[in-house]
This record gives sequence, C-alpha cells and structure tokens, in this order.
Amino acid sequence: MTALACAGLLTATACSGGGSDSGGSSGGPVTVTVMTWESAETNAAIKKALADFKDDNITVQLLDTPAGNFGDKLASLTQAKKLPDLFWCGNDTEQQYTSQGLLVDWADKIKNADGDFTADKFVPSAMENWKTADGQMGGLPSLMNTYGVWYNADAFTAAGLPLPKAGWTWDEMYADAAKLAGKNGAKYGLVADQLTSADGPFTMSMYSVSAGGAPFTDNVNHPTKAEADEKYTEGVEKLVAAIKNGSVAPPGYDAANVQSLFSAGKVPMTFGGQWLAAGFQTDKPKIKYGFAPFPQVQTPTTIADSVGICTPQYTKDQDATFKVLEYINTKVWDAVLPASPVAPPAYTPAQTSYFDALTKAQQTTVVDTVKADLAAEKTVGNRFTTQWAQQVGDLTTANYQPILSGKKPISDLPAYIDKINGLIKQGG
Amino acid sequence: MTALQTEAALPDTAQIVPPPKKKSRLVGTTSWYVVALFICAVMVVPLLWMITIGLKSRTAVFDIPPKLLPHEFHWSNFIKGPETIHFPRLFLNSMIITTLSVLGGVMTAMMAGYALARLRFPGRKLWFYLFVGSMLLPGVVGLIPLFQMYKSIGWYDTWLPLIVPAFLGGNPLFIFLARQYFLAIPYSIDEAAKIDGAGHLRIFVSVMLPLTRPAWLTMAILAFQASWNDFLNPLVYLYSSGKWPLSVGMASFISPFAGKTPDWSYYMATNLLYMLPPLIIFFAAQRYFIQGLGALGSTNQK
Amino acid sequence: MNSVSLGGSTTKRRSRRGGMSRNAGSDVKAAYLFIAPAVIGFLVFVGYPLIRSFYLALTKYNGLTDPVFVGLGNFRRLFTTDPAFWPALRATGYLVLLYVPLSLILGLALAMFCNQRFAGVRIVRTLAYLPVVLPAVATITLWKFMLDPQVGLLNTILDRLGLPTSLWLQGPSTAMPSVVLVMLWGVGGTMIIFLAALQSVPTELYEAARVDGAGPWSVFFRITLPMISPIVLLQVILQTTAALQTFNQPKILTGGGPGFSTNVLMLSIYNNGFPTLGRIPQLGYASAQVWVLFIIIIAVIALTAKFSSLWTYSDSTSD
Repeated sequence: MTALACAGLLTATACSGGGSDSGGSSGGPVTVTVMTWESAETNAAIKKALADFKDDNITVQLLDTPAGNFGDKLASLTQAKKLPDLFWCGNDTEQQYTSQGLLVDWADKIKNADGDFTADKFVPSAMENWKTADGQMGGLPSLMNTYGVWYNADAFTAAGLPLPKAGWTWDEMYADAAKLAGKNGAKYGLVADQLTSADGPFTMSMYSVSAGGAPFTDNVNHPTKAEADEKYTEGVEKLVAAIKNGSVAPPGYDAANVQSLFSAGKVPMTFGGQWLAAGFQTDKPKIKYGFAPFPQVQTPTTIADSVGICTPQYTKDQDATFKVLEYINTKVWDAVLPASPVAPPAYTPAQTSYFDALTKAQQTTVVDTVKADLAAEKTVGNRFTTQWAQQVGDLTTANYQPILSGKKPISDLPAYIDKINGLIKQGG
Repeated sequence: MTALQTEAALPDTAQIVPPPKKKSRLVGTTSWYVVALFICAVMVVPLLWMITIGLKSRTAVFDIPPKLLPHEFHWSNFIKGPETIHFPRLFLNSMIITTLSVLGGVMTAMMAGYALARLRFPGRKLWFYLFVGSMLLPGVVGLIPLFQMYKSIGWYDTWLPLIVPAFLGGNPLFIFLARQYFLAIPYSIDEAAKIDGAGHLRIFVSVMLPLTRPAWLTMAILAFQASWNDFLNPLVYLYSSGKWPLSVGMASFISPFAGKTPDWSYYMATNLLYMLPPLIIFFAAQRYFIQGLGALGSTNQK
Repeated sequence: MNSVSLGGSTTKRRSRRGGMSRNAGSDVKAAYLFIAPAVIGFLVFVGYPLIRSFYLALTKYNGLTDPVFVGLGNFRRLFTTDPAFWPALRATGYLVLLYVPLSLILGLALAMFCNQRFAGVRIVRTLAYLPVVLPAVATITLWKFMLDPQVGLLNTILDRLGLPTSLWLQGPSTAMPSVVLVMLWGVGGTMIIFLAALQSVPTELYEAARVDGAGPWSVFFRITLPMISPIVLLQVILQTTAALQTFNQPKILTGGGPGFSTNVLMLSIYNNGFPTLGRIPQLGYASAQVWVLFIIIIAVIALTAKFSSLWTYSDSTSD
C-alpha cells in the first residue's frame, strides 16, 4: 500500500523514511535508499549501474547530497533517525555509531554468506579496521584509500631532480621541496595537509615506524596510549625545519584548491589520496605528473584507510538492504570505475576493473603506487575513531600545530602527548 | 539603472557644505568625486571579478598570474552551471519559501507593532521588553532544542520549520521597527476613524497599512534577504534534494569531498543568477527602503 | 537598553496627552488578538529553547540517547580542561574589538560622505549598500577566493603595483583582520542607519554654528556627534551583539584556522554541536557554551547601557 501511494509522489524518499508501519524483515516490495558523497559525475555512473539491479520486490534509489556538506547532512539525518538504508561512511563513523547501537551488525551475515560474497574476499586490513572491539561490523568496507605524494614531473625535470619513486627518503623529499619552492609561481615545494592538519600527528607515525620506532598510538580503534619516541621527535624536527625555511606549507595553509593549483603547475608536490587520479582524468592538467609512495627511513610505511557503507538499525528490510549492499560491492564498481577510477575496491575480485581503467588511462605510476601501498609492509592509522576524537583535535590545534609553525619549542611535544594520554585514561 | 534615478530620499536637511572660496570648493568637489570613485570601485570590483571568473574555463581560473579582465567568454557556463544544480526547481522552491515567510513575517510583526504602539493592554511593556530582549539572544540557542522539537512533531524534511516561525512573529527587529513607525503616526488619525465607527481591524488595514508603507516595504526587503540567503536552517531541516532552496544547492558546487575540484567558474556564473532576485527587489524598492530604515535611525532619537 | 527606555518615555508622553482610546475593553481584546501570533512565537521559539538549552547545558547529551545529568560538569570542563575555550574567547574578543569600532567609524564617515549634495551621491549610497543585499554565503565565498594568496585578486593587484602581498586568511596573524575586512565590506548596513540619523539633525543647528564661525571639526564634535549619540549607542549595542555571534564569515573563510586564530565562540559551539563527519555531537557541552555566550552578551550590553549616560546626549529639557 505504501509503495503504491509513494509511486505517485515526486520524492519517494519521504515515504521510505516515514514508512514505519512495515517494520521487521517481512517480504513485500521495499525501497532501499542509498546516499553517497561522490561527485555528480560518479553519482550518475552509480545511478546507471544501480538501474541494472534486478529484484521484483526491491527498488533502489540514489539520493542527492550536496557533497561538500555530507557531514552536516549525515549528522542531521542521524539525529532525525532518517538515515538512508545504505550510506557512505568512514570507519571512524562506523566505530562510533556502532558503539551507540545505531548500525546493523553484518558480522554474522558476511561470515555465513554463501557464494562469492564472503569475508575472505575483502582486503584483510580493511576488515580489521572495520571490526569493533566486541567483534561487530557496523558496515562493510567498500573502497580502499591509499595515499602518497603527487608530483609535477615537469618541475622536477626542470630543476634537474630525479623523480620521486618507491624507496626515496624523507630527507630527499624535504631537499626536493626546498629546491622547488619559489619557482614558477610555486610558493611552496610541498603541500602536505596530512602532516599539518589535525590528523598530522598520525601521519608523522609513518616516519617513526619506518625508522623502527613506535607509532603515535599503539592502536587506532582501541588506543591505550600515545607516544612520541626519539624517532618520532626526529621526524617532527625535520618537518619543523622544512616549514621554517619555507619549503613546506605551514599549518593553516588552505588545501581546498590544492588539486587545481597542482594541475596548474603551482604546487610541485602534494600529499594526497589515489582518488585525485579520477579528477585529473577529467581535468586534464597541462603538466606531466606522477604518484609516488610516501618516502621512508628504512622500511616502506604508509597510511591505511578504507571507506565503506553502513546501514542504520531501523532499516526496513535487512535482507533486501544486504542484497543491494552486495550488488554495490560486487557489481557496481565494475561499472563505475572504468569511467571514474576513484579507488581500489575493498572487495578484491572487483579490483581488476580499477587497475585496468588506470592502465588504460596511462596512469601507470598510480597503479604501481596503489599496488605498493596495498602491499606495504607497515601501515599506520590516520586518525582516532574514538568518541573523544574531537577533543584530541582541539589539543592538536592548541599544542601540536604551534610546534610545527615554530611558535612553541619542540620540547613541548611530551606535554601534548601527556594531555592525550590523560584523555585516553578518562575516555577509555 | 532606472532605479538609481528615483527621487532623492535625501531631504533638504542634507548637510550643506559651507560656501567657501571658489578655488577650495573646486578642490573639495574633486576630492569628493575621487573618494566616491574609490568607494564605488571597492563595492563593484568584486562583483565584476565574479563575472570574469564566471566567464572563464574551469582550468583558466587557476592561471597565475590571474587575468583581471575577461579574455575568454564561456557563456555556456551560465547555462551549464545552473543546470548542474537543477536551478529552475530550486529557484521555485526558494521563491515559495521566501514569499511565504516574507508574508508571514511582515504581517505578524506589523500586527504586534500596532498593538504595542497604539493599544493599551496589561502586559504591554513586558511584552515589548521581551521582544526586544529576544533580539539579543544568540540564534544558535534555538538550533538544538528546535531541531529536536521539529523532529518529534514530524516537520523534519518539510518546509514548515522555514515558514511557520515567520507567521509567529518571526523577527523581533521587525516588531521593534513596526512599533517605532506606528508611534510616529499622529493619534488624531485613528480618533477620526473611530468616530466613523471603524474597528481596530479596519483601522489597521485601511488606515495604518497605507500610512506605514515604507516600514513594511523595508521589512519585506529585509525578510526577503534573510529567507533567500538562509543556509543553515534548510541545510539542517531538509534532506530531500527536491525540496532544497537555492542556498543549499549553491553549496553543492564547492565540495572538497572525494577529489572533486570545486568548479569555480560554474559556481560564480550561477552565483550571479542567485544574487539577481534580491538585487532587483532592492533596486526597485530602495526609495522606501531607505525611508523605512530611517525609522530605526530617527524616531528613536526623540 | 537605552532604546527601550526611550520608547517607554514616548508612550508616557503620549498617554499624558490623552491620545489613547477611551474604549479600553475592546482595546484589550483587540490587542491580544493582534499580538497573539508574536506571543505564541516568542513562547515556542524563544522561551522553550532557552529553558530546554539551559537544561541540556547541565547534561551529557549526544542527541541519540537520552541526556544524562552531569550538573556543572560541562562548565568545569569549559573553564579548566578544554584547550579550545580560552582561545575561542580571545578570538571572539579580538573580532569584536577590531570590527565594532571600525564598522562604526567607517559607517559614520560613509554616511557623512553620502550626506552631501553632489550629483551622483545616490549612486554611491546605493552601491555602498549593495553588499548588504547580496546573499552572505555568496559574497563570503567570493571574498575567500579574492583573498587567496596565490590566485586571488587582492594579491594580484598588490603584486602589479609592486606592493608587498599577504597571506590574508592563511596567515596566523593576518587571518582575523582579513575576516574583519570581509565583514567591513557590508559596512553599508551601518551607514544607512547613520545616514537616517544625520538627516534628522535640525539644519538650524548647523546654520547657527556657521554663524558662530565654527570649523568643520568643531561642528562635528559639538553638534553632529552629540545629536546622533543615541543612535551611536543603539549601533554599538546592535553591532556588538551581532559581532559576538559572528559565524558565517569564519566558518566559510577559515573554518577557525590557522590554529585557533579565528575560532570564535559560535564556531566552537557549532563544531561541538554539529561536528564533522564521523564524530559524535556533544549537544550538552555545546549548550553550556551557548549559555556562556548568552551571559557575555547580556553583560556587555548592560555595561554599555550603564556607561552610556556619560557620553550620549539626551534631550531631557525639551520633554
């Protein structure tokens, strides 16, 4: 009945959300809503792929979102208990929402699934990151995010520098940045928002871990302590020096346009995710560019991150929702990634279409780096996923960023770490 | 431009420049125009630059050094930009929301202002203080509790939270403005109307409203602006994209998410269209507007 | 709250004149009908949220599960452990101290400039008011782009003129002045009210001064400023209240950065109550901050009003 009434309306979403009368997982026709944070182009491709989903009882609907305000939107939908049946989210959202009992736990379903859609077909580190302390899975990882350094090959050649490649060191990177800064309208040699933003302390772990030291925190999802050992402090010192001599953009640099500036040849090196490749494919930068793994000290080390898809507790029909979720993971990427190679899927059988698309577009450095990242010996987390993450962010702004910009001495680092440990003790 | 030629709202009281010697007057006039030119430039150049960007291609926006004058003309940006956010649909939504909230806000504020200024009733002073006091209340106080309230009465994802508050007194500044304006109207007028047997409703509608045209036109412009420009409320309360007003749609251009480059040329081109309605209304009614705001600036003095 | 008491005295004056209707009973009924929507609105949209947010300020509440009463715990955290609170207060104070005086001085200067008889004065006045009419989100975004250190208009112009450029919004010490610069683009709003005030100053006063041979500065300080001082007071109160609640500009222009340099109280409240993706809202804590802001506003206004008698001119003899 509801479905019939809804069909006549312009926005069937209002109905699917409000249809409280059909609880449980009874049969009958249902609408499964999907919300992504992808660009309009990618969304169009997803929509097209979803149109091929065939099930007499299930209608799939993709909701529009102003991508830039996905966070605000999600917060308000959460408060209103109107979350779509399937929504894109990071594992930090997944961890926190699961701890509030907001999400459907798929752990059993994916364990006991039949056919090809099983837990062992996913990238193991992604599954690990999505598991909560008590073994729940508030969603399934969908895409892997790998990070590295995008470089302007033309600028490197012009400056007589060798191109960055796997195995290069942090010292080499800073030296290159110093030589590239201030040339051809480039203010800084390197823009590394990930090192200077609120998540910066995590990214710095790459240095210490690669040098055989300890990471910033012992565990991302369930940390028991934060730490800045000798190697870590050394990494911070080097960054501080590079910011001081103007080769690296300081904290506060607005990275919103960095992708466009990179394309225009005004940023010779930038830390970034592999997803920029999809944007470059449409933007067609005038420069020759490449993507290198992060530098190292001794062992290759990178940041691990995966995004995924979550489902609220109050989804109408869990089985139907899971069917669509499976369809997205197994089929949709094959249709979407060739046109817009955003990220390698976490469901490994679907990865081929991603790498094929990049190879076809001659983005070979991206293929190599993403593959190297996925296979990297050591990975570090990139942010806290805990309830008090917001407060750590404030502590970082108050204590860590001033160290980077040289306003506080590096000897203040232990005090900052102590404060975080205080929070861990309180919150944990 | 016709709007600029409307009758001078500056009455004869304009401060007269002392008539000194001819030479120094020439210097004074020249320097006045130099300053005037500067002021105009500061106000207009950003808008012209917006149009320049709107005409550029997507990548030319990031040429360094940027070109100040348009040297390429991608007029199609003015079609394609709006298309990407379903401009006509959102425009209509904005129009409906704005029209209704202007109507409600002005009407109820005028009614309250009338009662506060011209009728005698117990609690009149108290309510006046309360209304004026609520001007000082941070708007964010309401955001959290009101969101919960709308949610529980089923107004979430409807236009009601954007419209209904306007019909319930809306903006306390308007109540204040209306009261100030009503106070300035001589009492003999309603005495005369009362002798003719008119009730309060008739006095209000057929005597007071025509007399207070500058006041409610001013409020209408202010209310139009406020509703047309409101971003936070629709963002929080509406989740179906079909119901969005333009302000939320505009935000979808600049999304730093998932590797999408903010499309500045489309944004600026569409921005111009988004700005047009408040601009047109302002130019059309600016004479009354300046008179009406005068109520805030002058009746208060004495 | 001088404006209010002034309003009160106006009523008294008129009632003395006996202008009020004699038919008191029907007045009362009509008055309640006329004022009913505004009263209901006040109770629902001001009264209720105020009480509710006071309660929430004493709880731990994430909007998902029921609030948990924590007494003054939120306030204790605010004043003792929160690393963002004092910087937020400082940023808010800096913004107010920078913006309010500049806005008043520029607004008054602009009003006096536009209160002269030159051909074209209306064009200047209209254009000066123009930015106020435009959607805030649209103009602020435009300015963000203009202030970009690399591709922005301002640095381009400065560079061509051979002048030093600035980091504007991205420099720790220039960020707040840049935010204020963007706010001052809307100074036309202040101007228009001053303009109305200037126009209500009786011309005879100026003529008398001229006969006495007073120079322009002494005319300004002895006649113009005292005559419009009540409006100056009103503006001080309105602008300060608004400046304490500045949100759009820092939110869009800087997001509070670099560091905490532009992280004003409102932004801090918003970020705690409506945090970024993947973080749990702290609605109780945000409500506590709202109340701190509210108390600051009341205190500032009360102080301004208390000391206003020292410098505002009141026409008590003519009443």
